Amino acid sequence: MDIQSIIAYILVAAAAAFLVKKFFFKKKKKKGCGEGDCGCH
Amino acid sequence: MAEHLKIALIGNPNTGKTSVFNQLTGLNQQVGNYPGITVERKTGSCKLPGNIKGDIIDLPGTYSLNASSIDENVVIELLLNKTDKDYPDVVVVVTDVENLKRNLLLFTQIKDLEIPTILAINMSDRMEKKGITLDIPYLESQLNTKIGLISSRKGSGIDRLKGLIVNYKELSTEPCLHASSIEPEYFDRLRKAFPNELLYKLWLLITQDANFGLSHTNELMGTASFTKTRSDLKRLQQKETIKRYQFINDVLKTGQAIDTSKAKGLRAKLDRVLTHKVFGYLIFVGILMLIFQSIFSWSSIPMDLIDEGFAWLSVYTQENMAPGKLTDLIAQGIVPGIGGVVIFIPQIAFLFLFISLLEESGYMSRVVFLMDRIMKRFGLSGKSVVPLISGTACAIPAIMAARNIENWRERLITILVTPFTTCSARLPVYTILISLIIPEKTVGGIFNLQGITLMALYLLGFLGAIVSAWILNKILDNKHKSFFVAEMPNYKLPLIKNVGLNVLEKTKAFIYGAGKIILALSIIIWFLGSHGPGENFENAESIVRGQQEKIIPEEHMEDAIASYQLENSYIGIMGKAIEPVIRPLGYDWKIGIAIVSSFAAREVFVGTLATIYNIGSSGENEATIKQRMEAEVDPASGEKVFNFATGISLLLFYAFAMQCISTLAITKKETNSWKWPLIQLFGMSTFAYLVSLIAYQLLK
Repeated sequence: MDIQSIIAYILVAAAAAFLVKKFFFKKKKKKGCGEGDCGCH
Repeated sequence: MAEHLKIALIGNPNTGKTSVFNQLTGLNQQVGNYPGITVERKTGSCKLPGNIKGDIIDLPGTYSLNASSIDENVVIELLLNKTDKDYPDVVVVVTDVENLKRNLLLFTQIKDLEIPTILAINMSDRMEKKGITLDIPYLESQLNTKIGLISSRKGSGIDRLKGLIVNYKELSTEPCLHASSIEPEYFDRLRKAFPNELLYKLWLLITQDANFGLSHTNELMGTASFTKTRSDLKRLQQKETIKRYQFINDVLKTGQAIDTSKAKGLRAKLDRVLTHKVFGYLIFVGILMLIFQSIFSWSSIPMDLIDEGFAWLSVYTQENMAPGKLTDLIAQGIVPGIGGVVIFIPQIAFLFLFISLLEESGYMSRVVFLMDRIMKRFGLSGKSVVPLISGTACAIPAIMAARNIENWRERLITILVTPFTTCSARLPVYTILISLIIPEKTVGGIFNLQGITLMALYLLGFLGAIVSAWILNKILDNKHKSFFVAEMPNYKLPLIKNVGLNVLEKTKAFIYGAGKIILALSIIIWFLGSHGPGENFENAESIVRGQQEKIIPEEHMEDAIASYQLENSYIGIMGKAIEPVIRPLGYDWKIGIAIVSSFAAREVFVGTLATIYNIGSSGENEATIKQRMEAEVDPASGEKVFNFATGISLLLFYAFAMQCISTLAITKKETNSWKWPLIQLFGMSTFAYLVSLIAYQLLK
């Protein structure tokens, strides 16, 4: 496997992990965040 | 170590607490010139003089400490609980200089809890214009406090307010009204039973338990009975309110002077027109027309530039990077996917620019008043108006805003129907589909047909919300209605800084919020679209050449191979599996994949299609997203995929379908049950499916 393929598949795995984390694991509420937007869109 | 202070910002709705919060913390919480923006505690930190740090807690607006809704109760729960981690060292009661009399009721109640309390009189920049003069030393002496005269819009008086906060220990905790004067005999008994407890705090605990069916008093008082009937408690609360207003009137008689000839004028005249039962609605429709026309016409040039820029970048990457998987991923997955969200920045910015201007100017409150008249006919109370209107930005804060509705059934109905309101995430889907199926024609000499269609979709969403509310109202048998006291703030010239910050924050949230999901999904979709099982995928080139060499000209052979490969990829197989379900609506498997992926966020739809179409072509031309969608042809019928019937069917699907995981999550949180989000999901999606099916079958 060449270097391009390795980087591409790492990115695919990272993207999958990000989506699983985003939608299946509850995010801990940050204390004192002061952020207003829901970030839902 | 630096000293740390906890500072609570409390006040009536629409007194500018959040603006004060922003001034103190330097943060950019959303502010608006209409009530009900803040529905839960928000915290931020600020630097105070003398190397002291302050944790500022912005609390929901409340008219008094006699709470009747969840958001109001947030304030009392905090002030009555000394063990709460956010229990304040000092409270800053933010008041509006033009409504001082009403605002002081809350101030006197908080002061009587013997918490150091500062009075911040906001909007002082309007005093001269309104003919108001205040005798600050007199007011300070009568109210036993320190007063900060501030203008959160202009930023004046904030440094003095910070100074007062730092010196909070110098504040008197002498109450404004001795609780025992409300009913001497009853409070005397209370005092004797609980000599170590603050009398006014006990009184608030008792009334709060009666309002919310809580059990603080049981824990505190055990078997000792100090309960009264609900009507007796109400009578005593009224007595307390009257006594407080007597005190406030006496104080303001000397401490405040208003030149009434200056106080009236333009506002009354504007209100008469803008809330008129005929002209009010005509003006509102006119403003909506202007907004949607502008969204289409003003943003078309930057949108085209962005679209062409990403198309060029995709080809440039493919041509200039060494061939390989990473190059394919960037050129076919990441660049088109990100392009699918960035292209909508101009439209989102224009939408929020107009919404911010309407909020800042005070016009939004007049819209709330106008809508209340319509809502009542469909069984909703005026309090549902704020969530439904704020749903045009995003359903999440809108559903949270329903917390100010006291009646549970009414609140539930509002939560369930709010996702029908057209949120900003639908805008990208609507605009790209409208530009594909609605001609760029002018109607009546000035109106753009595409803009009118967009407005019709917004109105359709609103109609969907109120009709379903009416149906739910019948099913849930909601007999008790809560009353809506609509606050009419003054008209203000929108501050460019506030409007600019709001537009920037919202646009940033749109890009980063959706952008991360779109980027991740684009990568996954590229992977699923450029890999596949079996020989059909691996040997796509030889199969296509063998079967169709004589039919397809050589210049189109690359596209035909890419298309065949995509059909036999993982995503193609998945898409084909769901195709039978969506075919009756006029959608092919590629649209099906885009619909499924857009369940994460609606605007993912365009990015997904952009990635799929990019993988499914040879990638040698600089076609934009719109051009690729326009050129997509159904291989079976030879007709354009995005024809009028399919386009309308898709628009209706997105208008009604519950395509947002985050909204379902917040519904679950707010209703504390999976039952309601599931009803929302299946109810809305089934309705969307049926409406789209009927539309397609009639129009095809």
